[in-house]
Amino acid sequence: MASKKSVVPFGPQHPVLPEPIHLDLVLDDERVVEAIPSIGFVHRGLESLVKKKDFKEMQYVVERTCGICSFMHGMTYCETIEHMMDVEVPVRGRYLRTIWCEMSRLHSHMLWLGLLADAFGFESLFYQCWRMREQILDMFEESTGGRVIFSVNAPGGVLKDMPSDMLHAFVEKLNGFETELHKIADIFLNDYTVLTRLKGVGILTPEEAHDLGAAGPMLRASGIARDTRKMGYAAYGELDFDIITSNDCDSFARCDVRIREMYQSIQLIRQAVDKIPQGDIAVPVKGNPDGEFFMRVEQPRGEAIYYAKGNGSKFLERIRIRTPTFANIPALLKTLKGCQFSDVPLLILTIDPCISCTER
Amino acid sequence: MSKFMPFAATMIKNLFSKPVTTAYPGKPAVYPERSRGHVEIDIAQCIMCGLCSRNCPPRAISVDRASGTWTINRFDCVQCGYCTEVCPKKCLTIVPGYQTPGAEKKEAVYHKPVEEKAAAPAGGKPVPNLEQCVFCTLCAKKCPQEAITVDRTEKKWELTAEKCVSCGLCATNCPKKCIEMK
Repeated sequence: MASKKSVVPFGPQHPVLPEPIHLDLVLDDERVVEAIPSIGFVHRGLESLVKKKDFKEMQYVVERTCGICSFMHGMTYCETIEHMMDVEVPVRGRYLRTIWCEMSRLHSHMLWLGLLADAFGFESLFYQCWRMREQILDMFEESTGGRVIFSVNAPGGVLKDMPSDMLHAFVEKLNGFETELHKIADIFLNDYTVLTRLKGVGILTPEEAHDLGAAGPMLRASGIARDTRKMGYAAYGELDFDIITSNDCDSFARCDVRIREMYQSIQLIRQAVDKIPQGDIAVPVKGNPDGEFFMRVEQPRGEAIYYAKGNGSKFLERIRIRTPTFANIPALLKTLKGCQFSDVPLLILTIDPCISCTER
Repeated sequence: MSKFMPFAATMIKNLFSKPVTTAYPGKPAVYPERSRGHVEIDIAQCIMCGLCSRNCPPRAISVDRASGTWTINRFDCVQCGYCTEVCPKKCLTIVPGYQTPGAEKKEAVYHKPVEEKAAAPAGGKPVPNLEQCVFCTLCAKKCPQEAITVDRTEKKWELTAEKCVSCGLCATNCPKKCIEMK
C-alpha cells in the first residue's frame, strides 16, 4: 500500500538558519521525497542602487552584500572596475588584498564549523569554534578598523597598509591559531558521534555536482578540482598552492575540505607575508569606467561572479552579482532528495548557506 | 579511525580556566588604534566645501555654508570613512569609540568659529596663468562649489569669488599646473 505523503514547511525561521530560506519538504514517513525552495525574504535591491551611487561610492554598497565575505565583495567589485579602466594595482596592494582574502576564508570556515557543530547538537564545540574565530576578527579590527565591514578597498588599490611588524605579529598569532585548529579539527574528523552524523550523508556525485553547477567546497568535496584562485587574481598567481579536493562526496568530505582549506589559508598568508614587497598600496584612478567586464573570484563559499557595465559616466549602467550560495541551491535540493528528515538542517548547512548574499 | 571522546581534554581544561568572555560594560572594551568608531571633525579647519556631504554613501552629513554648520546624523553614518578620503583639508578623521544607543536619531551639529569665518581664507583664491592654460575645464569640473566657469571656444576662464572656498582642488587637479592659489 502506498503511504500518504505529507508536506512540512521548513523555515524561513528555523533554529539552524541564521538567515531566511523556506523549503517545502515532501515527506514519505521520515524520508524526504522532494524539497521545494522559495527565496526572497531578504531581498534588498543592492544592484539597483547603482543608479543612485557613483562607481566609487558603490564600493561601500557592494561590500554590504555579505557580512562574512564583505572584503571579497569589495575587492571583486574594485578589480572589476580596475579591469574596465585598465588600472594596474601596485604589487603591495595586491598582496594585502590576498592576505585579507585568506583571513576572510579562515573566519568564514571557522564560523561554518561552529554552525555545523551547533546543527548536530555539539554546543560546546560550537563555542570553541567561535572563540577561535574571534582571534581573526581581532586581527581584522587591528588592520582595517572594522570587524564585519572593512572598507579598505577602493578602485586602484587598498586604503590601509599593514606595517611589517603587524604582518609578522599576525603570522605569530596564526601559528597559535593553527595549533588550536589541530585540536578542533581532530574532533570534527575523528569523533565517533560526529562521524555518525556526517559520514555517508548527503551524497553528491561528481557528475551531479558538475551538472547542477555546484561551487566551492561543495564542488571540490565531490572530487572536482576547480578553484578560481588559480586564475591568478590579486597576488594568487605568485603564490604556490594546490586545489584541495576529496572523493568522498558526502557531508564529511565537505567538512574535511573546509578544514584543509583553513590550513592552506594559513600557509598562503605565511607565503604572502614572506613575499610582500615594499611600495605603494594604491594608484589614483582618473576618469570614469566604460565598457563591461566579468570577474570571477573564489569566496569561502565558492565562486562569485561580478559583472559591471559602464557608459563613460560616473554612474555604472548595470551591475550583477552571482553569489556561490545561489549556485549551490540546486545541489542542495539534490542531496535533500531521499535523506532522513533529521538530516535536513545538517545538509542545508553543508552548502554553507548565505541567503543575504544570494538575494542581494 | 574514529576516537572516543576527543573533546574531553578541552572540556576538562575549560572547567578549571577563567572565562574567555569579559564582563562588558563593567570592564570597558579596548579598541585598537585603527578602530572605526565615529567621525570627528576639526571644525576650525573646515572650509565648508560640502564634498563630504555629497560623497557620503548614506547621506548622513549635511553642510550649510551660509550658517557655517556641519551636521552629522551619527545613526545614519556607517563609518565607511569615504568622507575622510575626499576631504581636501583632511579635517575629518575616524576615531575609536562607537556611538552610544539612543531613543532618538539626534544629529550632532558643529559650528564653525565666527572669527575663523570672518578671516581671509588661508589658501587664497585661484589665479590662472592663461598663457599656459589649455582650457581643459578640469578645474571647473573638480570645483565643489561650481565657482569656476571655463569657455573653451571663447578661451575664457572666470571665477565667482563669493562662491570660492579656497579648497585648492582646481590647482591640484590642473594638468598644466597653471593655477596658483594667491
